[in-house]
Amino acid sequence: MNDQRLVELAQKGNRKALSQLVNQYSERVYNLALRILRNREDAEDVLQETFLTVVQKLDTFDGRSKFFTWLYRIATNASLMKLRKKKLVFQELNDESEYQDNIENRTFIDWSQDPSINIYDREVKTKIDEAINKLSDIYRSVFVLRDIEELSIKETSQILDISEENVKIRLRRARQFLRDQLSDYFDERVSEHDAG
Amino acid sequence: MMQAKIKKGKFKKLCDILGEDLDSPACRQIIDNISNSPPCKVYYDTVKKSVLLCKQNDCVEEVPNGVNKRLLKILDLEEEK
Repeated sequence: MNDQRLVELAQKGNRKALSQLVNQYSERVYNLALRILRNREDAEDVLQETFLTVVQKLDTFDGRSKFFTWLYRIATNASLMKLRKKKLVFQELNDESEYQDNIENRTFIDWSQDPSINIYDREVKTKIDEAINKLSDIYRSVFVLRDIEELSIKETSQILDISEENVKIRLRRARQFLRDQLSDYFDERVSEHDAG
Repeated sequence: MMQAKIKKGKFKKLCDILGEDLDSPACRQIIDNISNSPPCKVYYDTVKKSVLLCKQNDCVEEVPNGVNKRLLKILDLEEEK
């Protein structure tokens, strides 16, 4: 049975249909929250909050968007609320024009082809985690939805309630930030490797 | 290993595509156009590799059994058999 039919039945009070929706999407919601929050306990809380909201507001869901988009919007908002409450200090992204000016004078090292840089290396994994952890909420959410969850620009804009242009800008800045963070470490690693 | 400096005008063109699907035909076309600028190519390749590493580092986790049970109980729903 497709989502639309399950939602219609659940809206009429069919508990089995609601149960099927929860079972169908709980893992995706949990993983989405985990990717944004990077903490299992918080992701468990968000999973619970999300489906409680779904049950409370299911009557207001009018089917104009996909159920999945509506659900992801609730889960993303709950995750971002939780992340903001924790008041973590994220690394500030440089001013865009300043960044472009600095690029002009910078040197780039190509570490993209280095075979030693792979996720089977524990240190590389740690650096990736550290880089994502430093990414602030507005950039992290776009990065997770677009690059990790592989949702479209349109879906991401609907979930985050921002324009498609804004999705692209935030994604670009997130990717540049992650590249710069990883390059700080990989440049040095590749240079040492070449020197040795 | 390649070390090079980047030209601002070319970098602007590159930036315009960095929020898109990096493998889309439109992106490929721009990358082909800036391929005469090695630093731009290095920058693009390292952005792409960073995204790939983050994707590879991500893994789907199962919802812990106790959490699922608790969720269904809170929602007053039955477990699927």
